[in-house]
Amino acid sequence: MNKTKKPNLIILIFSLLLGIFMAGQLKQNIPILAPVTLRSIQTSKNEINSVKEEIEDLKSLTFKRNEQLKILESIASGDENIINILNEELKNSKIAAGFEKVEGPGIIIKMEDNLSEGAFGQEYDLDLIHDIDVLRIINDLRGAGAEAIDINGQRVLAISEIKCGGPIIRVNGRSVGAPFYISAIGDPKLLNAAINAPNTYAYALRTIDQLNIETTVKDRIVIPGYNGRFNYLYSKPSKEGD
Amino acid sequence: MFFALIGILLGLAIGLMLPYTYNTTYSLYISVAILACLDSVFGGIKANLEDKFDTSIFISGFFGNAVLAAFLAYVGDRLGVPLYYAAIFTFGGRLFENFASIRRILLKKRKERKNKQ
Repeated sequence: MNKTKKPNLIILIFSLLLGIFMAGQLKQNIPILAPVTLRSIQTSKNEINSVKEEIEDLKSLTFKRNEQLKILESIASGDENIINILNEELKNSKIAAGFEKVEGPGIIIKMEDNLSEGAFGQEYDLDLIHDIDVLRIINDLRGAGAEAIDINGQRVLAISEIKCGGPIIRVNGRSVGAPFYISAIGDPKLLNAAINAPNTYAYALRTIDQLNIETTVKDRIVIPGYNGRFNYLYSKPSKEGD
Repeated sequence: MFFALIGILLGLAIGLMLPYTYNTTYSLYISVAILACLDSVFGGIKANLEDKFDTSIFISGFFGNAVLAAFLAYVGDRLGVPLYYAAIFTFGGRLFENFASIRRILLKKRKERKNKQ
């Protein structure tokens, strides 16, 4: 034997050490064997954040519900006038449903047919504003977070139709003619971008079809409430199993 | 060969009985280090069978390789490059090489013994 006297003993000792390390690793009980990368840490961080946000939302919801419960309890004990509370609720519901006049910052869009002599295309059709143009612009506005929209004084709700009626378009069953003034309440910057940013639908209408589309940002826009009557004929509230 | 096996089994038993644990964050580094240690032990067995065993080389390899492997894994994690693959490939490959040598030596010895008989 050369330098080492007992190689077997040394190997035994170090295998012992290795075994102890291995046991430590075994005791970790790692569920996933995939190595932890920075990306996976990031994704789990995001997941944790979203769960935290959800918890916050639920907390605020329970807070609101508790307040409502308090009001109801005070009604039950006869402290507050129930009619006042119901009136207030009715008002809130009307605002939410769009039956009330509302005001706030937003933009007004003026849409006019192409009035110039040298019209675009060979057909008059392309120089006119159609129901579909208005519809798509309203969809853009909704995408940009518009809270209330009206076309020439007609409040646009979820039940409102926008249909071609020959030289006019029909909104809420009423005729509306060009030029169209579409007002929308919401974040003025976002609404403005939805109309004026390159490659939006309005941009195409303005630059290709050469329709006159002007936007004005205003601090205060008044949008009237829906003035028709609306009742559900066919829909009934569906009871969820509880 | 048998000493190493006995050692590893004993170590496992001792380690499972000992109450110590470490942070789960380091488990990747430790696992790579364990691979390096395993390679060193196999290398040691092979050297022992070839009668070329040197304690200082064995011990320095045992710790040096483990530390280097863990360090590589750590640096790779910081840089976003999976550098621990380098350790896994190197030590994994060498593990099999060493095992092949050990196998050959043992089989040879057995044959020689048979021939003597």
